[in-house]
Amino acid sequence: MDILANLALGFGVALSPFTLTLAVIGCVLGTVIGALPGLGPSNGVAILIPITFTLGLDATSALVLMTSVYYGAMYGGRISSILLNIPGDEPALMTTLDGYPMAKKGRAGDALVLSGVASFVGALLATVGLMFLAPLLSRVAYHFGPAEYFALYLLAFCTLGGLASRNQAKAAIASCIGLGIAMIGLDNTSGMPRLTFGHLHLMDGVDFLVAIVGLFAVAEVFFFIESHGRNTSIGVRLERVTVPVRDIAASGWTMLRASGVGFIAGVLPGAGASLGSFLAYMSEKSIAGERGGFGTGVPRGVAAPEAGNNAAAGGALVPMLTLGVPGSGTTAVLLALLMTLNITPGPTLFTDRPEVVWGLIASLLIANFVLLLLNVPLVRIFVRVLQVPPWVLLPGVMMVSFVGIYSLSGSYFDLLLMVGFGALGYLLRKLDVPTVPIILGILLGNHMEDSLRRAMVLSDGDWTFLFSSPIAIGLWLAAVAGFVAPMFLRPLLRKPNAGSG
Amino acid sequence: MVSDRIFGLVILTVALGYVLSATQIQMSFLSDPVGPRTFPYLIGGVMALCGVTVLVRPDPDPDWPGPRTFGALALTVAALVAYAYLLKPLGFLLPTALAAGFLSYQISPRPVQATVTGVALSVGLFLLFRYALGLGLSAVPKTWLG
Amino acid sequence: MTFSIRALGVSAFLFGAAGAASAAECIAPANPGGGWDFTCRQIGKILHEIGAVDKPVQVTNMAGGGGGLAYSHVVNERNDDPDLIVAASSATATRLAQNAYAGMTADQVRFVGAIGIDPGVIAVAADSPFMSLRDLVEAAVEDPGAVAFAGGSATGGFDHLKPLMILMEGGLTDITKVKYIGVDGGADAITQTIGGFTQAMTGDISEIVGFLKAGEVRALAVLTEERVPGFEDIPTAREQGYDVVAGNWRGLYVPRGISDERFREWAEKLAQVAGSDQWMEAMAANGLAPFTMVGDDFQGYIDSLIADINRMSKDIGVIQ
Repeated sequence: MDILANLALGFGVALSPFTLTLAVIGCVLGTVIGALPGLGPSNGVAILIPITFTLGLDATSALVLMTSVYYGAMYGGRISSILLNIPGDEPALMTTLDGYPMAKKGRAGDALVLSGVASFVGALLATVGLMFLAPLLSRVAYHFGPAEYFALYLLAFCTLGGLASRNQAKAAIASCIGLGIAMIGLDNTSGMPRLTFGHLHLMDGVDFLVAIVGLFAVAEVFFFIESHGRNTSIGVRLERVTVPVRDIAASGWTMLRASGVGFIAGVLPGAGASLGSFLAYMSEKSIAGERGGFGTGVPRGVAAPEAGNNAAAGGALVPMLTLGVPGSGTTAVLLALLMTLNITPGPTLFTDRPEVVWGLIASLLIANFVLLLLNVPLVRIFVRVLQVPPWVLLPGVMMVSFVGIYSLSGSYFDLLLMVGFGALGYLLRKLDVPTVPIILGILLGNHMEDSLRRAMVLSDGDWTFLFSSPIAIGLWLAAVAGFVAPMFLRPLLRKPNAGSG
Repeated sequence: MVSDRIFGLVILTVALGYVLSATQIQMSFLSDPVGPRTFPYLIGGVMALCGVTVLVRPDPDPDWPGPRTFGALALTVAALVAYAYLLKPLGFLLPTALAAGFLSYQISPRPVQATVTGVALSVGLFLLFRYALGLGLSAVPKTWLG
Repeated sequence: MTFSIRALGVSAFLFGAAGAASAAECIAPANPGGGWDFTCRQIGKILHEIGAVDKPVQVTNMAGGGGGLAYSHVVNERNDDPDLIVAASSATATRLAQNAYAGMTADQVRFVGAIGIDPGVIAVAADSPFMSLRDLVEAAVEDPGAVAFAGGSATGGFDHLKPLMILMEGGLTDITKVKYIGVDGGADAITQTIGGFTQAMTGDISEIVGFLKAGEVRALAVLTEERVPGFEDIPTAREQGYDVVAGNWRGLYVPRGISDERFREWAEKLAQVAGSDQWMEAMAANGLAPFTMVGDDFQGYIDSLIADINRMSKDIGVIQ
């Protein structure tokens, strides 16, 4: 058993009182960083890189610390999604859809425990997948050319229609707003500025974190001001926090399927954790059908995106380690760390530096167990947040958002943009326009356009090239089905309001 | 009904404006077959189409808040804009205390409680960010430090 | 890469404000993970290890405009900061030569030195029918649309210029017909080439080391004057009859307004790094070849390089 021997090597490297301490510190820090709106996993890892040098950590210890923070932030992101309807980081976006309604029903504790378990399952399966399949899976990337990527992104947007809004036109408008914003800045293909109106701040485009924090955190505060703190989960009386065994059991298959979907999405370079949680949520929603009640606070709607995004986080390590292609922002930062340690990821890393790879895998497993132990019992503490009166909590959320965004560029421009997004988010949500597609549009817009343009370069402008491979055709069919199906199904089922989005 | 008709109209206008701005995008000499304008055109087109759809088939109106609440919201936006401008020149502590206190007052109008909240949040968050997370915030205007 | 823009911001913020007066700062004008980031982190680390600076060098990532944002930051706000160094490479020179930094020019900073070079390379998938650079060039000259290149820079960037220069040497006149797709970095370009979506990749040797060892790609030519130590079995383009030399040097620039004395100090420190064992190790691990040039020599090299690229870009039609 090669893998067992390797794993033993990995644990030999990663298991010592010192590295375990580092893992615990990393997990706690990561959870806090993930839970704070504006600070996400990639910030967390980036902040800590210089600290590892200052401390003079060796390669393994540095990796243990970083991966603990990485996984910790992935866990932490769900906390503010569920409690405040504010995603702590971009992959936790989808968790707001059912997590917050569930918290509003007074089941915040259950939602947190359930999502913690789902995160654990997703991350664990992904780590195991990484262990067994990494060399094999790295080849998946070879089958995705520009046309296939374009179809993949199209699939994401087409299935958005049925999401969070009853009006497909409004969901499409939201996608267009996001895509339109994504076009601002330097054009990746030609290097020319677009739609910047000569503004230097816009040369880099609009940071999607500014949009997330604005559309969610700031808009949420506006809703509080409108309702003076009524009609929200905050101040809800809490039942005792217990482990919701029944919900966990009922979500078992959901977690497994979502982990699979998320992992594959993570493996594809450029798709990343956000797409992973999104696709996991959408596929579970379609399996459950309209009767599944997704969007109204059902446990499966909480389990799916969390299993999906944590699995994607693990999956994103596959192309990073085997191809040197970072699948997400955080893995890009991890890649930077590896390169500084004179470790060059690539197809031969697994054979050249087994102690690094297996040490990393062992530390992922350790971090995952530490996080489960930390997160489930500590849920009581997180839930306490809800008992903080809104007139303290909401200003606090707003100030944290300001500092988080200010730390991006140190300029007031992003802050103004954030307030603008807040006002926009308030108005759009009033009009039942979902805001999630805006974020996805900003996140994926440039990738989608680049894929299209690369495909057209390769085919000399022949549009049939977009449907020229079995993978591409399959994705196109799924996209069309995803867009058309809700139009026919909805009138038949006459489902009531699908949540506030 | 009316809200959605206005919204549809606004979206239509924005979409047309967007397409118009996209025509101004500079083309480079070595352009690809698609070019930098096509995708923005597509986005603007789909958006306009959806705007018309909403215009023609509007949803029922949402419950808009009264003019008082709208005033409060507008005031909040103004306060946040001011905060954004003041954060750098005045340092973290003072503007944060003011902004947090103001927000707290907006949610629950009790002056003493709001003041305490503002000051406590400002100091507490400063300590959290500066020392626990290691972000370099300046507490007071940089000029005070020489 | 839209994904990781915020990561650097935080470290920027962190260091910008927390730094004490005497600590040196290195700006990497890109996201973590790329060549500039590598330059800053390695040089910063070694400077401290060999005692050339007292405190660890703070690395700030400032991505944007292909390095333009950092350039304007240095020119406009840090013009006399004696403790600032900024990572630079051939890409910096290319963009300056093509006037891609919104009117800013090369004489607004001082180029202090380069301490390594990443030789340019043209590679194909292991199962490609092209066995030599000549096969590839002849196929492309016959039908320019038949060979599509993938590279890590945008259209008109350095990775794009490399195959164009070779094809022009090979007698191709209408180079606008050559297909090139700019993807997110060299590794991505290889993935596309191995997947068969493009026929060849253009990049730097460091980007293909792992894939070469795994036997997944074949390097057709390295764009250096002599064969690269450690990669002796890869022929140069020159010996195959195409006189193209293009490497991606790794170096630094400093603000224009610092004293000559301080400029010489930085050049001196950089030379120390270049001579250190740690740097040798880092170069070997990352496929870099030795290339040390510091101080006024380097400034002269940059000036002529920029003039060359400018002329070539005009010839090719990348700029008017």
